[in-house]
Amino acid sequence: MNHPSIIGASIPRLDGRAKVTGRAIYTDDIKAPGMLFGALLRSPIPHGRIKRIDVSKARALAGVKDVIVGADTPQIKYGNWRLVPASQDELPLAVDKVRFVGDEVAAVAAVSSDIAQRALELIEVEYEELPAIYSVEEATAEGAPLIHEESQGNVSLVRKIEYGDLEEWFAKADLILEDEFKVHAVSHAYLEPCSSLAVPDEGGRVTLYTSTQTPYIVQCLLAHTLGIPENYVRVMKTQVGGGFGGKMELRPWEFSASFMALRTGLPVKFTLNRAEELSYGRRRHPMSIYSKVGFSKDGKLLAKDFQVMLDGGAYNAMGPTATFLCGTFGNMLYNFPAYRYYGRHVYTNKPPASAMRGFGAPQAAFANETQLNLAAEKLGIDPIEIRLINAMQTGDVIPDVATVSSCGFKECLEKVREISGWDAKRQAKTPNKGLGVGCFSFISGGVFNWFDTKYNFSAAEVKVFDDGTAQLASMACDIGQGTDTVLRQILAAELGISIEKIRLIAMDTAATPKADLGSWGSRVTLMNGNAVIQAARKIKDMLVPVLFSQFDLNQIHDVAFEGDEVFVKANPKKRMSFAECVYKALRGRRGEPLSAYGYYTPRDKGLVSPAFSFGAQVAEVSVDEDTGLVTVDQMYTAHDCGVAINKMAVEGQLEGAIQMGLGYTLSEQFVMREGHTLNNTFLDYKMPTAEDMPPSVYAEVETYEPEGPFGAKEAGEGLAIPTAPAIAHGVFEATGFRCRKLPITPERLLRGMGKLR
Amino acid sequence: MPTPRFTFHQPQNLEQALDLVGMYRTNGKILAGGTDLVPKLRAGLMDVHHVVSLNRVPGLNRITFHEDDGLVIGAGARLADVALNPEVMKHYPGLAHACSVMATTQIRNMGTVAGNIVNSAPSADTAAPLLAYKAAVILVERGGRRHVPLTEFFSGPGLNVMEPMEIMEAIRVPSPPRRSGSAYLRLSARSKVDIAAVGVAGFLALDMDGVIIEARLALAAVAPTPLRCPEAEAMLAGQKPDPQLLTRAAAACVRACRPIDDVRATAAYRRKMVQVLAGRVIEQCYQTAERGDA
Repeated sequence: MNHPSIIGASIPRLDGRAKVTGRAIYTDDIKAPGMLFGALLRSPIPHGRIKRIDVSKARALAGVKDVIVGADTPQIKYGNWRLVPASQDELPLAVDKVRFVGDEVAAVAAVSSDIAQRALELIEVEYEELPAIYSVEEATAEGAPLIHEESQGNVSLVRKIEYGDLEEWFAKADLILEDEFKVHAVSHAYLEPCSSLAVPDEGGRVTLYTSTQTPYIVQCLLAHTLGIPENYVRVMKTQVGGGFGGKMELRPWEFSASFMALRTGLPVKFTLNRAEELSYGRRRHPMSIYSKVGFSKDGKLLAKDFQVMLDGGAYNAMGPTATFLCGTFGNMLYNFPAYRYYGRHVYTNKPPASAMRGFGAPQAAFANETQLNLAAEKLGIDPIEIRLINAMQTGDVIPDVATVSSCGFKECLEKVREISGWDAKRQAKTPNKGLGVGCFSFISGGVFNWFDTKYNFSAAEVKVFDDGTAQLASMACDIGQGTDTVLRQILAAELGISIEKIRLIAMDTAATPKADLGSWGSRVTLMNGNAVIQAARKIKDMLVPVLFSQFDLNQIHDVAFEGDEVFVKANPKKRMSFAECVYKALRGRRGEPLSAYGYYTPRDKGLVSPAFSFGAQVAEVSVDEDTGLVTVDQMYTAHDCGVAINKMAVEGQLEGAIQMGLGYTLSEQFVMREGHTLNNTFLDYKMPTAEDMPPSVYAEVETYEPEGPFGAKEAGEGLAIPTAPAIAHGVFEATGFRCRKLPITPERLLRGMGKLR
Repeated sequence: MPTPRFTFHQPQNLEQALDLVGMYRTNGKILAGGTDLVPKLRAGLMDVHHVVSLNRVPGLNRITFHEDDGLVIGAGARLADVALNPEVMKHYPGLAHACSVMATTQIRNMGTVAGNIVNSAPSADTAAPLLAYKAAVILVERGGRRHVPLTEFFSGPGLNVMEPMEIMEAIRVPSPPRRSGSAYLRLSARSKVDIAAVGVAGFLALDMDGVIIEARLALAAVAPTPLRCPEAEAMLAGQKPDPQLLTRAAAACVRACRPIDDVRATAAYRRKMVQVLAGRVIEQCYQTAERGDA
């Protein structure tokens, strides 16, 4: 395909310089006149009833301006799944019960942060402790105490998928494998802890500056919980230091800041610290997975029975979506005739799990990919070969889900085999070293409208001016992944103007068109990119007549937009600058500005996603057989993200994904005792640092996605999926120990190798 | 946690510092690099009203080495400076290694060896090599100065024998004999930039026939304090190492340790790692010692 040259260019982030020089403004940097400082009182127990709260001493402390508890608030439950009101199980501040250590019970606003902290110590809460549950097995056992009385045995949501005759296909299978896998919780560990500043506006309105990846969702749910009209709330996203799924819901500090700002008439700010984030923040879902697969002797996957219990913690959060998607990821990579998924989202007395980069896929892939490697071994087939035998291809149908409109999976497998030196290295077999493979597929945004928005999923407003510049207004959210740059590239490409000429307004729910569901599910490039293109085309429709009348063109001609100029395609001498063209159009419209809206909602694209990315990764690992330490020596990745809009940004996504995958596989975990998180610093929460990063080489397998802007699809989350199975497989090749549990700590590995009892 | 409030003192010489430390002995703390103290203050773990900085006291950051007297590390010497000091790298490679791998670049640039010892964490990285090198600390107070061998310094997790009005002025390390070798190995869950879950340091001196004259082994992060392993040391002395002896000596190190289960590792894993690392350390020490002139 022929793209404008800005598509596929490696353009450094337009916000990069401000960020690395410390000049970018994050929420906590903003100081409003008269601002109060908020602090949250959290439950010290994992499960209990609130018998009594006395805030009188806190209220009496000099400098305290407001203290609120659940009873002071409208007590309206919320949750992201508005489509299923029964799933909305959270209150901004606990009213009758607390369900995890850290559950928010009261909030204070004071003239200084020290006074707010001291006030917290003066609030008296009397609890009646209830028995607490820490695992899905306990939670679903007969007679387990109910964390939410209205749930069915602590199961908040069930998702079933079934097609093909499972019994029949298992009967045909030559090899049947049954395995159990356990994966754990990890932290999003975004560098910017959550921060929110609410500023009261005239007429009972409120403006909320907040570190979020979903301004529109926060706007709607905040208005709902405050009991005020949706458009009385204006959400201003500032620079956001990462989200990874951890900032995509309304959160208690956003509510408390706004509620107290409205009560006191003063701005109120809350900023969390790292210990709070690690102790009480959202996490990736731990899962208990049972998987049964059947293969023919020549390696064809015939049937899969996939049963998953997600440990959701105390509230649903984004758990329902993870439960749905986990099932969908169970059959997205390989084409096979019979599949059954039974997923249950289970409450426990732990900090709620929620969306996290990969959204149910890293967990599913660890099980699925590991099992594929097991099958390859049992059948005597090369692990890459067995994937080629089963790989999804362009035009394949995922039953009840979608038709795969572009797929470079097989090419990725071939490519990664080549760049990793797979065949030669496997033959050579160096002691204590191993090569492992893992693969992924991911969605480019979701189709299922769980938020029940009445607006389009993405929107853009484009304005052009007679100085040759343009303005793009969009609710899409750059949280560090680079979409502010990518969306401008798309607009620059479509209008044929330089990227520097585009101003972006992207943080304001009052000034940008409705709506945008936010940055999650790898949706922004495809969905918002399409909205931008639609708006830009409408603008071009307003400009084209200028050329036709200027040059008295025959009806058969077409007009090109390129290099800040507009010209007749068949006769490029007939041209004018973009600025002049806008000027003339403006004259012709008697001063009415040129502006246009564009929208995108996936339609007739099944239930899951309009497009799917694919890829394969190989990890080369070394194991110290005495200490159990695993070193990843080299990563090789081949992936298909359609047409990469910004190659440098895609590479950044890959590097970040490897860092997250490395921690997920080897070192990161929460050490918990009776509901308390014991490792709440980066000293003891072992996230890999820059110094731990393995070298990485990669290859892009370019496909053209017809539904994507300029052929693009997702490049954000999918890459976070294959690393765990790839490293785990490498560890097996090096040691002979097949780890079915994450993380692969040195101790677990030594025990697995029989070297530690 | 409310921000702690305290008075910050910056004495210009040791006498002033000693006066201040004496005056505020009940609610004062000494700051050198501040990399342990400041986080503790922020976390509200101590009730401190006065902080006495040693950073303007001249001469405290010196690192000197003489063949006869050995090494003197001033209380203000930064970890990074010790790590890169050519004499330390040559004569005390275990200590140089500890100072170069512990914590993070930023902490190594601020933190001091003396601070690491005074903080007395069981996992203190410099403690194990300094124990193996038979170091002593010099403690001063108004009108007095005493030498305390490091083996007698630690008394529990975060605890030591220092009196409230004392300042650690320097650490003295004897000069290693010819034909000696030393090493420090550490282990943690993250391969780099991490706190040690287990640390083992060793020192061996050989005679001309390759027989061990003296052996010293020290462990970190596996007991309430960093400690030496007398049983293993006695086992090695007078012997030529062979694989069996190495295994037995390493096993004796395991008997010396008293690890706990914590968020960083289980006791069982720590014991096993003492065995593995002790074996490797002894071997590494022997190899460097045999090479001769270190």
